[in-house]
Amino acid sequence: MQTGRQKISRAFTYLVLSLWALTTIYPFVWVILNSFRQKGLIMSDSFSLPLGEAFTWDNYRTAWQRSDFKNAYLNSFLISGTVTICVVVIAGLAAYGLVRYRFRGRGFLYSLIMAGMMFPVFSTIIPVFRMEAVMGIAGTGNRWLSLLAVILPQIAGNLCFAIVILMGFIQSVPIELEESAYLDGCSVFQIYFHIIIPAAKSSFATVAIFAFLWSYNDLFTQSFFLRYPQERAITGLLNEISSQAGVNYGLMAASVVLVVIPVLVVYVCLQKHIIKGLTAGAVKG
Amino acid sequence: MKKVLALLLVFVMVMSFGSVAAFADGVTLNVVTSYGGDDGNRANFEAAVKAYEESTGNKVNDGSATSNEEWKAKVLTDFETGSEPDVLFYFTNADAEPFVSAGKVVSIDEIRAEYPDFATNMKSSMMAVAADGKQYSVPSSGYWENMFVNKAVLADCGVEVPGPDYTWDQFLTDCETIKEAGYTPIACSLVEVPHYWFEFMVMNNGTVANHLDLPESADDEVAAKWAAGLNDIKALYEAGYFPANTLTASDAETVELFNAGEAAFLIDGSWKVGYFTANAADLDDFAISYVPGKGERSASEAIGGISMGYFITRKAWDDPAKREAAVEFVSQLTSDEVMSTFVTTEVTALVNGASPAGLNSLQQSAADANANITAIAGAVQDSLTAEARGDLFANVQNVVTGKMTAEEAIASALALN
Amino acid sequence: MNSMIYKRKAPLLIFLIPAFAFLLVYLYYPFFQNILNTVMKIGGLGRAAEGVNEPWYENYQRLFVDPYMRVALKNTLILIVCTIVFQVGIALILALLVDTIRVGAQFFRTVYFFPIVISATALGLMFNLIFLYKGGMVNQLLLSLGKLPYEVKPSGKVIVQWLDWKDQAHFLFTMFLPVMWQYVGFYFVILVTGLNNIPQDVYEAAALDGADGLKRTRFITLPLLRNVLCTCLVLAITGALKVFDLPWVMFGAGMPENMGWLTGTYMYDQTFNKMNVDYGSTIAVLIVVLGVVLSNVANRVFRPSEDI
Repeated sequence: MQTGRQKISRAFTYLVLSLWALTTIYPFVWVILNSFRQKGLIMSDSFSLPLGEAFTWDNYRTAWQRSDFKNAYLNSFLISGTVTICVVVIAGLAAYGLVRYRFRGRGFLYSLIMAGMMFPVFSTIIPVFRMEAVMGIAGTGNRWLSLLAVILPQIAGNLCFAIVILMGFIQSVPIELEESAYLDGCSVFQIYFHIIIPAAKSSFATVAIFAFLWSYNDLFTQSFFLRYPQERAITGLLNEISSQAGVNYGLMAASVVLVVIPVLVVYVCLQKHIIKGLTAGAVKG
Repeated sequence: MKKVLALLLVFVMVMSFGSVAAFADGVTLNVVTSYGGDDGNRANFEAAVKAYEESTGNKVNDGSATSNEEWKAKVLTDFETGSEPDVLFYFTNADAEPFVSAGKVVSIDEIRAEYPDFATNMKSSMMAVAADGKQYSVPSSGYWENMFVNKAVLADCGVEVPGPDYTWDQFLTDCETIKEAGYTPIACSLVEVPHYWFEFMVMNNGTVANHLDLPESADDEVAAKWAAGLNDIKALYEAGYFPANTLTASDAETVELFNAGEAAFLIDGSWKVGYFTANAADLDDFAISYVPGKGERSASEAIGGISMGYFITRKAWDDPAKREAAVEFVSQLTSDEVMSTFVTTEVTALVNGASPAGLNSLQQSAADANANITAIAGAVQDSLTAEARGDLFANVQNVVTGKMTAEEAIASALALN
Repeated sequence: MNSMIYKRKAPLLIFLIPAFAFLLVYLYYPFFQNILNTVMKIGGLGRAAEGVNEPWYENYQRLFVDPYMRVALKNTLILIVCTIVFQVGIALILALLVDTIRVGAQFFRTVYFFPIVISATALGLMFNLIFLYKGGMVNQLLLSLGKLPYEVKPSGKVIVQWLDWKDQAHFLFTMFLPVMWQYVGFYFVILVTGLNNIPQDVYEAAALDGADGLKRTRFITLPLLRNVLCTCLVLAITGALKVFDLPWVMFGAGMPENMGWLTGTYMYDQTFNKMNVDYGSTIAVLIVVLGVVLSNVANRVFRPSEDI
């Protein structure tokens, strides 16, 4: 049974959590409501319910009619799925190596990673485009090559951040686990796959979520490499539809909803792995 | 997590089987234009492209996008790396100079040597001339800049809708009346789009004939004309005729102020007609009028011209399979019939003129105003380098607040030109 | 700490080479080009360099005398402090609270993620409407509470003196609040993951020793979260230096009156709007140098001594 004090503190906990939840749900609801609002009404009246005359499906219809959605979603998933898998695999290896090994130049490599996290994409994009054009990947008009041209720099762009986060998590894995596995005759790679990955499973899921999110939402890189209709990814496509001097905010809101849904699906799927209980048994320190 | 990833992969593979594009016979032409996004002519452009595909059996790979600085940078990078399109619709001013001077596009004369009828439906005088004296592009739709008025606001303040003889003094009187009545006289975000007012204020202190002159130094006559123009904007700012938050408001915000019936005047361009057509509560409240004239300039003189055109790249020209297709594409897209669907209220280079039909009341008002326009000049900002232009307009807010004199702002921009 | 297992260094190559090969080709080489650009004269984006600047360090010299750069640095430093205190702070409190409940935990984890997935354009538009000068949500509220002065013209038209949330007195608040709010969810997810990595039996042992509630948090959870918190600190610093999209949508080019620059927005503006590509590249170099120095300092101070 709970004591009175516990009840009060529990109620207070829920109060605080709910207040914050209100601030995060409200904007989402606001976007959804306005995606059903008649054009021209958002600036003057964006905080009421779009009922009666103000309600419309037009924004979704326009967005849907204007373009090849199936193809764009496919491109987005191809790009972001590949980026996510590569980032998780490559960053996991590097983070493990950097955390567990002591060697000369380790501090320098770490600084390189910190620096890599800071490079603004605005200043690296043109050299990358030139380089990939020389390699024959970018600007060929071939759909699959163009997708690859986006995937490669996006992997690099997400690696540093993924390594930094994974390092923080792997550091917290008790080294005693690895030592006992080593005494049992495991190689370093077996330790990595059988001890580290299960122990830090939720951390990998977290990194996967963010790698997917950043890659999926990275309009700038996408729009630089993907020009022709069959190459376009969903974010770029919808931005293309809803762009230009804020002419049609309802259309923009509808676009946002169409873009956000897949990310939320991926998040909810991967989130299962961040929940306490599923992995708690794996680590006995 | 493995399961999720596996599902993702399966999903991706199923989708890819469903969408292997079938390529038709004939040539595939890569085309890049600015008729993407919410461009008012997008639908017209797409219809014309479709008609071209049907009539020739060729396929058009349409890489159109919204024109902005990022898009311009992309196009230039494409030329540098050899991945330029076959046909490009792009700015014909200094922005095109890098690929024109690099010989990456084909001149009209060279095309006419083989296709004598190419672009003969266009007035030669309206076609842009590059730095080497040759013409490279076929003009399409043009633009004008002029003053939009909110007739409902003017009526409420008892102010007449300005005519082509509108004077500066009358304008100042009207602004005061409007301000007294509790409205904002001029909708303008001086921090985001001071360039419309800059163009007209410069012309007000000079003439339509010398509008395109550039200052050689910060103390010559042209610079004095520019400084006087900037100081006119400052006077309007100090009189409180701009919105109270003109230095923190976005363009969208001040345009909406005008649209919502809180402001009386707005200088903007032909592309804004579409905004009001789509967003105005009552389109009849709005009209295209005239920017008040001062000194030697009459209110019937405006800014306008044709700033973009179709280029055929050297790459397409040298490709025997594509040469004909590219020439045919540009010819069709700039034919009298197609151009008449594009041109609604805009300037045209067609020899026979355009014959638009089905105008709404605002478009009609623009057509009426354009009929009264006695002379136009291009925008002088187009002759500045992008760096100088950016610096000049960013300093307008410093001039009106007195942090910088007009002369200092001009000197600073010229140093970058 | 340095275990026997990791004495043999050969496998290290396999761990590190894929990552650093990618970084070398796709980040360091392009950024090396960017560094070269800082001493070149470049007429616009996508254009070839026209030669070397005169003197070659012209742009670096300019960094020190450019008043807007000073503004950008000052604002960014304030932003870093706010980010650490509010973003990481609020995220930590929320993560600890969610960790103590069972019913609804999944719900809170999901909705706290919402702000990060909605594009900055949409959020920027929404916050612009909330803080809109004429008739924005906050101003309407203030008006109905009678906090805004107004006058009635003889014609019956009511003139309200709206509060300009983007003016010199309020812009820091209006600019930072959305940024703070948006990224709380990001640190929240990372911290929840960190909490999840703490083995359950540690708590069970503590419970046997009679530690519960705040004591448990203070003496068990926080020390075990130290590595992850340190990661958050580093991410907060680097994130603040790079922050771009929301402030750009809401404040454009340095509103109000060039007092609202951040290093991220100033770099973008110089590169894409002012077409001053070489100076923009120089600001990028400064951002990177500051990021590396500040995050190294943060690591020195907060990370347990044997790690980096």
